[in-house]
Amino acid sequence: MINFILRRLAAIFLVLLIVSALVFFLMNAVPGGPFSLGERGYTPDALANLERKYGLDKPVWERYLNFLTSALQLDFGSSFSVVGNPPVTTVIARTWPVTLHVGLYTIIVAFGFGFILGLIAAYYRNSIIDNIVTLFATAGTTVPNFIVATWLLLIFGYQIGWGQPNKWIIPPVLGAGNAILSWDYFLPVITYALLPMGLVARYTRASVAEALNADYVRTARAKGLGERGIMLRHVLRNALIPMITVLLPQIPNLLTGSLFIEVAYGINGLGKFFVTSITNKDYPMIMGLVLLIAFFWSLTYLLTDVLYVVIDPRIRVGGRGGAI
Amino acid sequence: MTLRRLAAALLIALCAISVVPLFAQDGNVDVYGRALPADAAPYDMQVWRAICDSTRTEVSFSAVVSVYSRTCLDANISDLFSDSLVVLDENLNLIPAAAESWSVSEDGLTWTFRLQDGLMWDDGTPVTANDYLASYRFMADPANAYDFVWMWQGIIAGWSEAVAGEIAPEEIGMAALDDRTLAVTTEGPAPYLPGTLFFWPPLQAKALAERGPGYLLNPETSVSAGPFKLVEFVPGEYFVLAANENYTGYRKPFLREIRAVYGDQLNGSFLAFQNYDIERVNYTNLSPADFEIIAADPVLSANYRPTFGDFRTDYLLFDTYNPPFNDRRVRLAFAKALDRESIVKNVVGEQFAMPAYSFLAPGFPASDTEGALKGIQEYDCPAAQQLLADAGYPGGAGFPPQELKLRGESEARANWFVAAAASISSCLGVQITVNNMEFSAYMSALLARPTQIQFGAVSYGMDYLDPSNMLGVWVSTGRHSWRNEAFDNLVREANVFVGDPAQRIAMYQDAERILVEDVGGIFLLHRIQGDLFQPYIAGDCFRPDNQGVGAWHWGNDWCWGTFYVTNDVMNYPTYRTR
Repeated sequence: MINFILRRLAAIFLVLLIVSALVFFLMNAVPGGPFSLGERGYTPDALANLERKYGLDKPVWERYLNFLTSALQLDFGSSFSVVGNPPVTTVIARTWPVTLHVGLYTIIVAFGFGFILGLIAAYYRNSIIDNIVTLFATAGTTVPNFIVATWLLLIFGYQIGWGQPNKWIIPPVLGAGNAILSWDYFLPVITYALLPMGLVARYTRASVAEALNADYVRTARAKGLGERGIMLRHVLRNALIPMITVLLPQIPNLLTGSLFIEVAYGINGLGKFFVTSITNKDYPMIMGLVLLIAFFWSLTYLLTDVLYVVIDPRIRVGGRGGAI
Repeated sequence: MTLRRLAAALLIALCAISVVPLFAQDGNVDVYGRALPADAAPYDMQVWRAICDSTRTEVSFSAVVSVYSRTCLDANISDLFSDSLVVLDENLNLIPAAAESWSVSEDGLTWTFRLQDGLMWDDGTPVTANDYLASYRFMADPANAYDFVWMWQGIIAGWSEAVAGEIAPEEIGMAALDDRTLAVTTEGPAPYLPGTLFFWPPLQAKALAERGPGYLLNPETSVSAGPFKLVEFVPGEYFVLAANENYTGYRKPFLREIRAVYGDQLNGSFLAFQNYDIERVNYTNLSPADFEIIAADPVLSANYRPTFGDFRTDYLLFDTYNPPFNDRRVRLAFAKALDRESIVKNVVGEQFAMPAYSFLAPGFPASDTEGALKGIQEYDCPAAQQLLADAGYPGGAGFPPQELKLRGESEARANWFVAAAASISSCLGVQITVNNMEFSAYMSALLARPTQIQFGAVSYGMDYLDPSNMLGVWVSTGRHSWRNEAFDNLVREANVFVGDPAQRIAMYQDAERILVEDVGGIFLLHRIQGDLFQPYIAGDCFRPDNQGVGAWHWGNDWCWGTFYVTNDVMNYPTYRTR
């Protein structure tokens, strides 16, 4: 297992290297640059000065090598577009915890409620309860979150007053620190959680329903095993594998934020930078974020593979037959 | 007798007591000890809130560091930490701001600005000419890669050379003659020079030297000689400005605080406005659906204040160096195929624009207020068809399909140009598709030489109130691929002309006629801009101009010294009273 993990970590490094090269050369090939702004554009002198100041006057391959050298020391350069031109790592360190905060609540809500709803739907499959859960889950996965956000803001944010700053559910534990859970998080988390919650509910229902019809469950029932024992020891465990495949990769999405939700709710998080750094041609931010998310995704897939082994003893790493 | 005197004194005292509240509520004074206007809400309610666009590139609060990347630029909440030398009144006349007076030497080459007496930074040091000098040198320094250097290239002596790194920034034609006197030397006569200086409130020379321009971003190091000072700043989240009690300039604010929050300025502003969370929404953040709501509501309608803003004109442009648009007949055919009146009436809305037949919007110096140029590009489909046929494309046959490229326009504005393309296409029988490009990609393509935009659309608004600015964009070294020697010569001559102002204006008018006749561009519409204010926002800023328009006019930075919240705010569920 250790060898497997080490091999995968080495592969992740290679993936990051390839991703960095692809993105770096692609973003430099896109027409327009970070400074092609303004009504008149820039004079040649002004443009030359800007390019010199931000190191864009060198050939693209030279800039890439410079970038690689710095990136190995976790220095991704300074943002072109964030006020004060702070280092990319500073921006990430400042904004990612905010996004993580929202993302973690979203995971708890989405996976917790989604799992329970899926279980209920599967257990009472083809009943009215199943239909209601399926309808809810389908709505959650199909209604875009900007529609949900607009309605929630209209109904709760502005009419009732929820979502207003400084209305805490649980006040800060430590002095003047951030609230652990405040109304500020309520609307964004609900908006953000609906889609993954719907996905979790649907996949849980499908996996559990399939497991409930399996021969080993029928055998367990025939042997007189109680329903709770059947659910916990046979159904859930076997239902987890397909769920892990589909649902675990949702986590990087949730922990890296969403442009729309962060802008709509005024959250000073990382999510908006995934889009604004591209539209603003903020090259250092683009590279920093792409590598961050590539690393995060790679790690998630590694975790997924490790979890397979933990959950299903039939799966072995590195060997023949059933190996991954 | 004594009793009568006593009664009279009592009566007078009673009258005085009853009259005082008409002028000021008891104790309702600002940080300068001034009584607030009689109808003002209590001072603790004198707060202004705004939404800043959280998706924009932002570098600094100061235009000295960057014009295009100023903090919360679209909400006009930048550059409140000092005063520029001059400012415009509501009639667009140049009036004193930090400078009490200015004059020009007999040869027209040296301008001298005299600063107001007693201007102070809030750290107790005086504002001096050296602060202005250091700021302009900072802008000219190539190491700072300033984004608006074009403003004084060819104008301030040595400016272009400094920007190009050929001479030191200290060698530009500017000098502090004493603490209150700034001299500016120009390469040639530049009668419009003072008008170009109103954008730039200075940085403090001392802080700039010690900490660099970033001093302005940290409340602990920020110093202010403007109406507000920085109290809190969490980049990307919010910032708070408080009235600067040490301010001695010309725009002392009645407002106690400005609070700006980063968010969805485009889509969230009107929603927040309707919730009484912000005080103003600019027209660029109002959708057609929002305008329908405004039109149906008498209170909102009464508080939507139209203005000509920066005299912005939207127009179509060509690559006139290559076929098919190197043929004037083709360009004129396109111009005469554009039914501007129908587009303004049916697509844009007559309250938001007026049809354009020339570049300079009505009211701008040298503009065609008499309509003398109207007939040149006016809609005349049969004439347009004939012109295209004369150029070798009868009924549009054989005319290459065109792509009308747009510069990252909003959906509403893109529709204007879709309608323009449809008008031309249906009249001339030519195929036109519309491509709304990303802003910077469009500008790169436009400025490339040879240009990569054969047929495009764009807008332009003034940077300063002089035809040298608006028409200067059309000279052959500008952003368009159109060249007319007579036009170039007229504009260049007028730019440095120091004789009779009427003669100078006439030269620009002649130049604009050439632009319209030679169809350098097809002028679609002049925008009517505007702002929606809460009904409880008042101030001398809204005094009508000489056209009777009461609005926050472009360049009226003094407005921050007049805005206040009226007692009417009590009738609304705002954040102050909720």
